[in-house]
Amino acid sequence: MSVFMDLNLSFCADKSRLRSLIETAAHLGFSTVAVNYTFEPTAKKKQEIPAPMPITDLMDQLPVVQGRSRPIRVLNRLTVVMSDSSHFRPTAPEYRRFDLLAVQPTSEKLFHVACMTLDIDIICITVTEKLPFFFKRAPINGAVERGVMFEVSYAAAIRDATMRRYTIANATSLMETCKGKNVILSSAAEKPLELRGPYDITNLGLLFGLSDGDSKEAVSSTCRSAVLHAETRWTASGIIRTTKTCSVTPIQQEAPPEESE
Amino acid sequence: MVRVKSRYLLCEINVPDRSRLFLLDDRAVAAAVKAAVARMHGDYGAALCSIRFSVKYLNAHTGIVFLRFPKKCYRLLWSALPFITCIETRGQKIECFLNCLHVGGTIRTCQKFLVKYNTQQLHRMLPKCKSEEERSQVREAILKCCLTRGNKQEFGEESDSEDDEEQ
Repeated sequence: MSVFMDLNLSFCADKSRLRSLIETAAHLGFSTVAVNYTFEPTAKKKQEIPAPMPITDLMDQLPVVQGRSRPIRVLNRLTVVMSDSSHFRPTAPEYRRFDLLAVQPTSEKLFHVACMTLDIDIICITVTEKLPFFFKRAPINGAVERGVMFEVSYAAAIRDATMRRYTIANATSLMETCKGKNVILSSAAEKPLELRGPYDITNLGLLFGLSDGDSKEAVSSTCRSAVLHAETRWTASGIIRTTKTCSVTPIQQEAPPEESE
Repeated sequence: MVRVKSRYLLCEINVPDRSRLFLLDDRAVAAAVKAAVARMHGDYGAALCSIRFSVKYLNAHTGIVFLRFPKKCYRLLWSALPFITCIETRGQKIECFLNCLHVGGTIRTCQKFLVKYNTQQLHRMLPKCKSEEERSQVREAILKCCLTRGNKQEFGEESDSEDDEEQ
């Protein structure tokens, strides 16, 4: 029994809908979910990065995951839709409040920059329109070495038939170049009806061109690697992490399997 | 020995409000699956679906369905199931989604899994019980749920021990 994760649940201001989303995810068997706040900066005016809602605010008791005895774990994630390289500022203090950082590049140059240099965990692949650029081996291999994951989301495919074509086309071209490594499949679900169980998503991965083993990993172990990669951003070279307690002492943490320099 | 093999897919239909579940019947579910496969995989999918596909069992109270597919192409047909968004029955549209729980080679293995799954569900429901009599009812139901030889009980449902057809 492996740990299934869904790292993209769209945030909506309606608390009851978010609550039912998390409950459905727990019922389906996902051990960890991440609530995704999308941020689309426009060049015209300065916009604030949304602050994540604390989980205790949302529901006081998290539902227990189907088939396990622990409650579901809910993380916060920020996705920045980049149309310019100045949109993502690596040292902005607001980013510290999120557990996962993701970027959605819209041009080839930005994709290259995101793969090679930006300090992020996930790169989202657009599924709602035809890819404006082709994937090249060099930046993808660089990203794989650094531990950055590529994400394909499937809720658009469930909603609409043309989106389905774009999703499958974009996902297949990604798989050709990256050979199935470092891929995450997640829903970008806004309603609880758009979530699907982990075995169904594994099967969807086969449609996209992943192999059997890669497809199951895309829902379980690669997601876990992404979460661990995000945790290393808080640490000093992946080994030591300090947290505030009553007395100021550094707490040692084991080096996670994937660490970034 | 040449034997015709099938795969039985144990799915759960999730609906936002449980009262709509009662309107389901197996022909509606079969029609919905065929339509989804035709949409996704075109004429090839629709043709594959007509070979040995059927809905073997449907429980409107819990939303459990057993679907049977031929073994050669069950993955392809399974991949069309996540795209079902609603099931139409008697002129009403029920918004739902299918969640596959288990794939088995025979109905018996699927039933064994279902018994385990149901006991798990009951265990989940137990802490949520509000009154003492509900709690004792749930506990009784858990204890009754065991696979005894020749007499299978799953909340008093019919057991269908039909195996693969032999030719």
